Amino acid sequence: MHSIKHKGLDLASKLIFISIFAVFILLPLITMLSHIDSAGIKAVFSSAQFVPSVVHSLLTALVATVITLIISFTLAVCISRTNIKLKGLFGIIFTLPMLIPSISHGMGLLIVLGNNGILTRLLNLNTSIYGFTGIVAGSVMYAFPVAFIMISDILKYQDYSPYEAAKILGIGPLMRFTGITLPYLRKPLISIVFAVFTMIITDYGVPLIIGGKYKTLSVLMYEEVIGRLEFKSGAVIGALLLIPAVVAFLLDLTNKDKGNMTFVIKPFEQSNKPLSKTLAYIFCFILSLAVVVPIFCFAALGFAKRYPIDLTLTIKNIEKALSMDAGTYLLNSLIISVAVALIGTAVCFLSAYLTARAKTKLSRVLHLILITAAAIPGMVLGLSYAMSFSGSAMYNTIAILIVVNIVHFVASPYMMIYNSLSKINENLEDVGKTMGIGRVRMIKDVFLAQSMPTVCEMASYFFVNSMMTISAVSFLSTTSTKPIALMINQFEANMQLECAAIVSLAILIVNIIIKAVFRLITRRK
Amino acid sequence: MADIKLSIKNLCKTYDKLPALNDVSFDVYDGEFLSILGPSGCGKTTLLRILIGLLHADSGQILKDGEDITNIDAAKRGMGIVFQNYALFENMSVLKNVEYALKIKKDTKDGAREKALAILERLGLLEHKDKKPGELSGGQQQRVAIARTLVLNPDIILFDEPMSALDVATRLMLRDELKKIQKEFGTTCIYITHDQEEAFALSDRIMVMDKSCLIQIDTPENIIDSPANDYVKSFVNENLRKKIDSLIKYVR
Repeated sequence: MHSIKHKGLDLASKLIFISIFAVFILLPLITMLSHIDSAGIKAVFSSAQFVPSVVHSLLTALVATVITLIISFTLAVCISRTNIKLKGLFGIIFTLPMLIPSISHGMGLLIVLGNNGILTRLLNLNTSIYGFTGIVAGSVMYAFPVAFIMISDILKYQDYSPYEAAKILGIGPLMRFTGITLPYLRKPLISIVFAVFTMIITDYGVPLIIGGKYKTLSVLMYEEVIGRLEFKSGAVIGALLLIPAVVAFLLDLTNKDKGNMTFVIKPFEQSNKPLSKTLAYIFCFILSLAVVVPIFCFAALGFAKRYPIDLTLTIKNIEKALSMDAGTYLLNSLIISVAVALIGTAVCFLSAYLTARAKTKLSRVLHLILITAAAIPGMVLGLSYAMSFSGSAMYNTIAILIVVNIVHFVASPYMMIYNSLSKINENLEDVGKTMGIGRVRMIKDVFLAQSMPTVCEMASYFFVNSMMTISAVSFLSTTSTKPIALMINQFEANMQLECAAIVSLAILIVNIIIKAVFRLITRRK
Repeated sequence: MADIKLSIKNLCKTYDKLPALNDVSFDVYDGEFLSILGPSGCGKTTLLRILIGLLHADSGQILKDGEDITNIDAAKRGMGIVFQNYALFENMSVLKNVEYALKIKKDTKDGAREKALAILERLGLLEHKDKKPGELSGGQQQRVAIARTLVLNPDIILFDEPMSALDVATRLMLRDELKKIQKEFGTTCIYITHDQEEAFALSDRIMVMDKSCLIQIDTPENIIDSPANDYVKSFVNENLRKKIDSLIKYVR
């Protein structure tokens, strides 16, 4: 019978997806953890660099998280709660840092405020950006757009009625903040704090390029694996880096249902007070400058003859980068990103269809495996893949980079489409069954069509992140499969900052184009 | 007496060992409007889903025009269903919603557009044909859902509390329209509701259910005049009283 056939098909599909994700998410992680032995632990813990690295990591991540949250919260309040103009433009500017690799943020600081930095020379500055200050500043630049989007989302769903009631009752602003705002923000904010902290502590791009001798755990892991091929030591550090990620994941999981989604009876009115608006403009303007200046400097540097000696305009750096195979690596990145976007989106959509629309106990298992991917930092994932799949047919090929990127970024797009499909009318499958409309047809004509804006968002997310990632791929790429983002480090190490800037710009331009294309498609729909 | 359109024999269904339908048997006559009335959880939606083929009974038999359809696909039973939440295709226009299934079915592919337009005209929806469901009121959306079902020309239409989400005025209007459509098309209708007033206003016969069992099936007059037991008597009285109270509130 038809429905029995459907159930059988559902069951088989779920088992196939569970097996695939178990092989590509859980198995590598287990393999990596199983390689940890007492010798590895001893080697890492007794190393002279270990304790300082832990302290540096914790210190920089803590300070950067606090600064990121203060900036993001202020920015979200400026954008959501005041009636300032140019919100669209500010919105675009503040998403720009999400379109370039973290390593580029470090490099941006280096170009602007490094020993030979443009501003350093222009203003004759004596302060050093290397080490703690640089890592914190770069990490803030890297993390604040993500935190800003998350906080804005919370503020968007905040109801004004309790504030109105409090005002009528004569409750002052401080009491309103401590009595209404803080309790409302507490749970989602805890999730954001951990997400930002994890994002910063597991990143190696910024500290590698601007940390100098101030080493962090992630850099130590990178050096152990890439520099010394000490996979076992890398696994020990990887397991340590997994701790904050797992805590963030568990907090997010437990906070989800009780989170911020209240029913908005009355939305907040946007302030028209001149003072609020002026302060908001000043804040947004300063932050925009902080975002735009390094990018502008990339462009200036990329087209300078010999930075900082000769700043004459030239396209020779492009030719130089191309002569060092930047074109091939850009093509690699494009192939990887397109494949990740296409396959990742399809896999997410089908998995979410099975978990959101055909709910069984197996759906829950599939759902949990997929969201678990969010808890694995890219570096840890890359190392676990290197340890699990070396010797397999896909090792050293572009296929492993595609797979690892899909797994690395799968959780967010999966949740996007899961939420979108869950909201679609629960009786549509029944309508299809009674009208003789086949399952595939319903998926294509109804579910896919109805969730097209989310599908575009997913594809764009996969593409952009695959284009700029340097984490998981760093342990898995070869000279022939290398994505272009990894060239930044190579150029910087060879003191070819101009070429590194060109590569950063190329990634930024490709990502802006992709974002614009998807925005156009979504608007047309 | 009209011919028997649907004959339900000894249907049983349990969920996790809890009975959802307990030996339910009844007949539905051709062109009849039968309402199934009962409190939440009495098994009426389970019954409806089994009748249309979205759910399988543990035991029992369903005969349509004398033919056993118990194990036949939902799409091949010649029945349509209208849900409380409309279940329209939000990405399609009203016209496309109505003609979509016709276009897919090979035998009805020709003239799908004409058929869809004709049914939309009949239901007063022609001016909205290019709108998306989200642009329509609840009542209009439910009419689109009815049009989408009617256009496939089913012998029987099942309604799963189709007016629960609508306001009183829209309900009254749609109720009249539904009765007219049923007379015009001669379709057999099985209508699930917990609203007694609606059931009494629309139905040729009413079936009262409680705790997974069929308690009484009869004309509205007989249900009121000769309730099968104390449960039907108190259920009918209590609900009618509630309805009268809410109507008085509404009028005031």
